[in-house]
Amino acid sequence: MIEGRDVSVAIGGRRIVANVDFAARPGKIAAIVGPNGSGKTTLLKALSGDFAYSGEVTINGRDLSTMKPVEAAALRAVLPQATTLSFPFTVREIVRLGLVGGRSGVLPGEDRRLPERALARVDLDGFAGRFCQELSGGEQQRVQLARVLCQVWAPVLDGKPRYLFLDEPVSSLDIKHQLIIMNIARDFARRGGGVIAILHDLNLTAMYADRIFVMHRGRLAANGSPQEVLSDDLIEKVFDCRLKVGVLPAGNTPFVLPQSAA
Amino acid sequence: MTDQSIAGAGGTLATAAEGDRSRRARIVILLLCVGLAAAVLLSLMSGASDASAISALRDGLFGAMPGDEALSARDRLIVYDIRLPRVILGVLIGASLAVSGAVMQGLFRNPLADPGLIGVSAGSSLGAVAVIVLGTTVLAPLSSALGALALPLAAFCGGLVTTLLLYQIATGQGRTSVATMLLAGIALAALAMALTGILIFMADDRQLRDLTFWQLGSLAGATWQKIGSVGPVIVLALAAMPFLARGLNALALGEATAGHLGIPVQRLKYTAIVGVSAAVGASVAVSGGIGFVGIVVPHLLRLLIGPDNRYLLPASALLGASLLLMADAVARTIVAPAELPIGIVTAIAGAPFFLWILLRKRGVIDL
Repeated sequence: MIEGRDVSVAIGGRRIVANVDFAARPGKIAAIVGPNGSGKTTLLKALSGDFAYSGEVTINGRDLSTMKPVEAAALRAVLPQATTLSFPFTVREIVRLGLVGGRSGVLPGEDRRLPERALARVDLDGFAGRFCQELSGGEQQRVQLARVLCQVWAPVLDGKPRYLFLDEPVSSLDIKHQLIIMNIARDFARRGGGVIAILHDLNLTAMYADRIFVMHRGRLAANGSPQEVLSDDLIEKVFDCRLKVGVLPAGNTPFVLPQSAA
Repeated sequence: MTDQSIAGAGGTLATAAEGDRSRRARIVILLLCVGLAAAVLLSLMSGASDASAISALRDGLFGAMPGDEALSARDRLIVYDIRLPRVILGVLIGASLAVSGAVMQGLFRNPLADPGLIGVSAGSSLGAVAVIVLGTTVLAPLSSALGALALPLAAFCGGLVTTLLLYQIATGQGRTSVATMLLAGIALAALAMALTGILIFMADDRQLRDLTFWQLGSLAGATWQKIGSVGPVIVLALAAMPFLARGLNALALGEATAGHLGIPVQRLKYTAIVGVSAAVGASVAVSGGIGFVGIVVPHLLRLLIGPDNRYLLPASALLGASLLLMADAVARTIVAPAELPIGIVTAIAGAPFFLWILLRKRGVIDL
């Protein structure tokens, strides 16, 4: 489990995240939603150890602040919102970098084939020889996801669950690839890993998330299952616009229809 | 779904090496080894005198042939005490400059970072000039305590301070601003040169001659003693660099991502900075400022084998050494019997090359 207790982050004297309690369990997808500037990415960066925070963050019960980079890297992989490359690497060379820590969880001999397998999973078969900088934004995003997948290929290693941190993993993807990527996240969770994803699409969130954390002005406005969290009142308050939440006849999944700006 | 994954597996089988440039890199490294060996032999054989490197080498290996002792004694002296130290120094310095360039470019995440360009060499020069000029007065205790090591050590400190300052100025929140880096480099270099100018102003005639000779950049005057004082520093720094290769590769994705991949980023950065300062400082201490090797060599190799530092660093060492030997050969022969400072040769070849890189990158990289 990834647990944050009373997590606050201040940057340049301003509190961006204040007193957030957070928990992502193995086997589940935890989604963080909220309007722009509500502190979603900052919270994720605190949980992944990029930003100094007050409060406590633990991974599988171990205090994050006492972990070495290599130890944390064996337990979680992080997909940033955007990645800028400084040199002309091929797609394969980038994906291979996910193996740098050597804890992918496959047999040593299979390591070499892993980049191709990861690329196939993100629907980039045959892209290994292309240069990253020549790809479209959505393709580059998927290349980075393939790299992240290589790092924690086995969702459970040595009996310990591992985690995917995804900061807007589908932000520049078409609808088909949004579903492919979310299915990868779900599959990772079903096989025993944990997923934390920042998402903007509330319908996608309702479909895939087991638990939703709603951020609003740096604080946690709500957290719970999609059915508990997605209500007209809360969404209107947090996102400052009128929405209508309905429920699909089949199953129990809520959906959200925009009405108008406030 | 199963059909697709089977087709996918077949596809990956057929293209297993696609995008993998490591085989090509190994072949290039092998060729560069051969090239360096040829350059070394050529440098040993050519020179102002007609001394035969072949016979001297043969004598060294198998003993003198009866009948040509007199000749071979002179040849041996020329080959072993004049040409060989110069070749070894050229190899060490060429390798150290090229690898330092490659490491700096990885560290700053920019192909334009070069120790000569961004003021590191100027900082090293300041340290070295301080020892030459003040070695008999203010710094006398220091230079008598350290002996031959005082010069390389001072050059190292000068380079280290400059690099640390530069890194602090140019990097904030895990991002290096290229414009800031280049401009800060210009400012730091100007400052170092101004301070160097003050020292030169204070120097006496004998020191001035030493300084001029040294500042133009030259491998002339290579001795076994010089190799003894800076060789270990360069070899040590070069030996440490390959351990940085994987970390520098990860750093290409940004500092935060490198950390997520398990790289101890802070340690990597400081090791790289200290290593580069040591290698550049030692090189500057013996040969003055030799520019552009650090930018030309890694750039050419990236075009050839890609930016993977596991191959780029050793290949840079080999090509840097070969190119510097060739530049030295030009410097020795083009105005023979006089000698051109090698820094002039590398600048004449390297500056247009640098402009060419800029033109190619125009619009691609964002200053």
